[in-house]
Amino acid sequence: MAVAGPGQLNVEEYPSWGSRSVDCFEKLEQIGEGTYGQVYMAREIRTGEIVALKKIRMDNEKEGFPITAIREIKILKKLHHENVIKLKEIVTSPGPETDEQGNQDGNKFKGGIYMVFEYMDHDLTGLADRPGLRFTVPQIKCYMKQLLTGLHYCHVNQVLHRDIKGSNLLIDNEGNLKLADFGLARSFSTDHTGNLTNRVITLWYRPPELLLGATKYGPAVDMWSVGCIFAELLNGKPILPGKNEPEQLNKIFELCGSPDELNWPGVSKMPWYNNFKPPRPMKRRIREVFRHFDRHALDLLDSMLTLNPEKRITAQDALVAEYFWNDPLPCDPKSLPKYESSHEFQTKKKRQQQRQNEETAKRQKLQHPQPHTRLPPIQHTGGQAHPSHWHGPNHPINNPQPPVSAGPSHHQYGRPRGPPGGPNRYPPSGNQSGGYNQNRGAQVGGYSGGPYPPQGRGPPYAGSGMPAPGQRGAASGYGVGPPNYSQSSQFGGSAGGRGPNPMGGNRNQQYGGWQQ
Amino acid sequence: MLTTVGYNHQSRQLEPSLAEASTPRVLTILSSVLEKLVARNDRLRDCLSAELDELSLGSARLGKSFNAFHGVRAPNISIPKYLERLYKFTDCSPSCFVVGYVYIDRLVHRHPDSLVISLNVHRLLVTSVMVASKMLDDEHYNNAFFARVGGVSNAELNRLELELLFLLDFGVAVSSRVFEFYCLHLEKEMMFNGIGQKIERAIIPSAVDDLTEISVDDTQSSSPPLKSLGL
Repeated sequence: MAVAGPGQLNVEEYPSWGSRSVDCFEKLEQIGEGTYGQVYMAREIRTGEIVALKKIRMDNEKEGFPITAIREIKILKKLHHENVIKLKEIVTSPGPETDEQGNQDGNKFKGGIYMVFEYMDHDLTGLADRPGLRFTVPQIKCYMKQLLTGLHYCHVNQVLHRDIKGSNLLIDNEGNLKLADFGLARSFSTDHTGNLTNRVITLWYRPPELLLGATKYGPAVDMWSVGCIFAELLNGKPILPGKNEPEQLNKIFELCGSPDELNWPGVSKMPWYNNFKPPRPMKRRIREVFRHFDRHALDLLDSMLTLNPEKRITAQDALVAEYFWNDPLPCDPKSLPKYESSHEFQTKKKRQQQRQNEETAKRQKLQHPQPHTRLPPIQHTGGQAHPSHWHGPNHPINNPQPPVSAGPSHHQYGRPRGPPGGPNRYPPSGNQSGGYNQNRGAQVGGYSGGPYPPQGRGPPYAGSGMPAPGQRGAASGYGVGPPNYSQSSQFGGSAGGRGPNPMGGNRNQQYGGWQQ
Repeated sequence: MLTTVGYNHQSRQLEPSLAEASTPRVLTILSSVLEKLVARNDRLRDCLSAELDELSLGSARLGKSFNAFHGVRAPNISIPKYLERLYKFTDCSPSCFVVGYVYIDRLVHRHPDSLVISLNVHRLLVTSVMVASKMLDDEHYNNAFFARVGGVSNAELNRLELELLFLLDFGVAVSSRVFEFYCLHLEKEMMFNGIGQKIERAIIPSAVDDLTEISVDDTQSSSPPLKSLGL
């Protein structure tokens, strides 16, 4: 950076954000819809690069510019890492009064403001929910390692993510995993003197200290969520699907034992401890419940799902856990299979048809009450998978074996190669004509929070003294969570298959009856 | 109420000294810094427009970046009273005022042809303090409330908020180092003011170039090195 001489402050060294119009992009299709706003897949006209455009919803006059957006922008501006989603720029659309162009004072932003992100093909939940798909152990290690690497980077930079969950972990067809949706994230101080809102993190992934009312907390909150995701990947379904906060705590205690002054000094002084403490002590059962996990996985999980946040493993320590350094080693992201699905635009109708078929199938298959369809990783499943279960009456036959490429890729990949940016990432596989047939549904959550509208971003910050209807946590029975229900789509790019999660919200709306 | 959100850990030792009084001292210091700046810039603008008029250039050379913040006339309420009002009603932490000041200073550096003057200082303040409170405090009032406290309409404040964000190029992050730097800077100002003998130096706008020199400080040496520290 050149030193500016007097009168020559160098304010325009880089193009100013917001200086470009959204017209620089050609919207290809809507890929998400959340409380935050719509998300589009778009192509930059000049370069042909595929991006995700997240429209910032500005219709709440009282709130003004959404706090989630402003924080996300602020935080992503300072985070640059291959495992953190890249915010490329902010663009505006001129809005209705186009004749006022050039007038800086006008409402030139009224038309809309968009965040431009690198495009990612999937999210972890979407991938995991693909019927018949089973992650391999090297693949799980690969994802976990990237997740921890990205999170460690955030924590080193004093950023708490505060909403780690599968749908916020985006995955591209190069196998790269990136943390996304920093709308709840914030900077933290290392001395933990902060007075932070505890209405963060999607219920199933929320740590006990938040559920017990802590307002001083740190990076350990994210590590709990990571533990939940880790177990979910190994287990094939969410491990702590509480319907409301008391039930969530209860599920945690049932699995991890009840907290006391011995295993968690100070816990009895937590704000809501007396409301929620179990009537009698409960035993920690993690090692029993997950005894089928391999030893190193169990050790790591045990250290992540530690009740006492002070004792919970850090991202840094988790990265050097035995788990990642024992066979099978994490695979190279590049070696992971490229999952494809057809484009929503082409298959909308087909999907509706299939949906009906599935409903029929569901009714006919009541003998399979399992609400969750994910399959545990290959090593552990053996005969547990029910591939035939996923065949609806009129469905194309599903290949019960996912296209896993576990083969020669069991080598350590050290540091992932540099940020994969650049347009050349986008046409990675043969039949993607102009990106139109990329998987859309899977990505929804990461960008928009779409699948989980009840969580509303925004509300946690609604302000003291302000009524905050619909505040996170106020409603029991969040519509959160991975779907419960199998959709018989083809993965692996067969023609005509439909995306596994058609629309973010659908996962909940359509299959809302998952809790049995 | 006076507690600050733990956003800037290193500066926390510093913060209580600024916040200990019932009206945090940061308000007093900030008021005096801004009053000085505005008084100087108002004079500068008058001189300049006179000079430019002579050159029949009109006031076209003055930057328009802050135009959205311009009122028709200067509000009656003084800067100290206005800051006090913001503090009293919005419950935001004293840190928000420091960070709001950082934003205004960044604006001035990013848009060196535009001046903070009596016509725009109030709107700049309410907007930057509000954005700061959105950044810093997990709990904060919404724009509608800030608008009522600040004496502008909700719609206008929303517009100003966007204007500020884009003028700042969304550079709203303030590291603890920068925060501390500004606190030290403000405390230094306070020391000068405590002695009370500091004579304000007149600015002689002999050349248009001087316009670009405008900063919150009188002396360039104490001007925060924004480009190197800020985002």
